[in-house]
Amino acid sequence: MTPLHLALLRSASLLVPGPDRAEWFAEWSAELWHVNRGTTAFCLGAFRDAFWLRRNNPIPIAPHTFSLRSPLSCLLFLAALAAVSIYFALRLPLTRALWARGNFVPAYLFMIALSVLIVSATTSLALGEYPGNRHFRRRTFLAIKIALVLPIVCCGSLDLASVISMSFQSHGLLIGLIVGFRWALVDQRRRCPVCLRLLTNPTRIGGPSHTFLDWYGTELICAQGHGLLYVPEIPTSCYSTQRWQSLDPSWTSLF
Amino acid sequence: MLHRYNFPVALEPKLSHTAALILQAIHAGHVYGFSVMERTGLPSGTVYPAMRRLERDSLIRSQWESQAIADSALRPPRKYYKLTRSGKATLEASHKRYPLLAKLIPSPEAENA
Repeated sequence: MTPLHLALLRSASLLVPGPDRAEWFAEWSAELWHVNRGTTAFCLGAFRDAFWLRRNNPIPIAPHTFSLRSPLSCLLFLAALAAVSIYFALRLPLTRALWARGNFVPAYLFMIALSVLIVSATTSLALGEYPGNRHFRRRTFLAIKIALVLPIVCCGSLDLASVISMSFQSHGLLIGLIVGFRWALVDQRRRCPVCLRLLTNPTRIGGPSHTFLDWYGTELICAQGHGLLYVPEIPTSCYSTQRWQSLDPSWTSLF
Repeated sequence: MLHRYNFPVALEPKLSHTAALILQAIHAGHVYGFSVMERTGLPSGTVYPAMRRLERDSLIRSQWESQAIADSALRPPRKYYKLTRSGKATLEASHKRYPLLAKLIPSPEAENA
C-alpha cells in the first residue's frame, strides 16, 4: 500500500456521497491491504464503484449552485462581473472608436433615462412597507447594486457588440439596462430589511375569495428569524404593496 | 380480453452471469470483496459495484468484522458479505439457468457431498 494508491482511493472517495464516504474508504483501504499485485488496477476499479454509488444514491445530491443569497456575495459577484466587463471593453477598438466620437457619455445618459422611464411605466417602483426608519442600509445596498449594474450593462453591451454586430450595441444597452434595473428592484423586494439576505420558503396563503375580507398572496420568511414578508397577489385597498412583519427575539428559538 | 396480454411475472430476480458468479463465490465462502475477485477473476471495478447492487436488492448483507479480530491479525478490519435467505433462493434458481456455476465455484456442501 503506497501513498499513490491511497491518493487514488482518496480521489475516488470524493465521488462517493458524503454520508457513505468514510465507510467506503475504510472498506477499500482494508481490501487494499490484502492486494499484493495489480494494486494500481485494483485502485482504479474504486472509481467505477464510487461512480456506481453516486449514480444510485437514494438521496439525490443537491447540485452546488452559486447563490446570491447573502448581500456580500451578491455585491462581490456584481463587482467581479463589472471588473471583467470593463477589462474586456477597455481592450476593444470599438470602445476607443465610440469614445473618440465624443457623444458616448450623453448617449449613455440618454439610454439610462429612457430605460428608467420604461421600467417605471412597466413595473412598480414601490419597494414595500417596512416599519421603522432603518432604511439607510437597504437604500445603500440598492444604490450599490444599480451602480454596479450600469458598468456591467454598458461594457457588456460593448463586448457583445464587438462579437455580434456593431448595431447590437444600442439595442443591447437599452435591453440590458431595463433588465438590470428590473432585476435590482425585484431582488431588493425579496430581501430581509435587517440582514439584507434573500428571503426563503415562499408559501402561498389564501385564495382569490379572500380578497374582500383579507389578503391572499405569498409569505416569505427570513432564515435568520428577523421577520416575515407578505406579498399580496393583487394590490387591494388594505394591502396595496408588500408588507414586512418583524419578529421579536422570542421567536429566535425556532430558527 | 385483457387477460390475453397478461404475461407471467417472474417473482425471483433474474441475475446476470456475473452477478450469479459473485453470489456463488460468496456462498462458497469467499466473503470478502478481494477474495471474490481472486476466485472469479473479475476486476475490482466489476465486483464491488455488483456486490453493492446485490446488497441493495437484499440478496446479500454486509457486516464489519470486529476490531479485536482485526487487531489480533495486525490488519485493518474488513467488511464481509453473507447471503440472505432470498439470496440463497435466487442462487438456487440461478443454478437452473447457469448449470455450470456450481462446478466453477463449488460450495462447501457440494464438496463434502
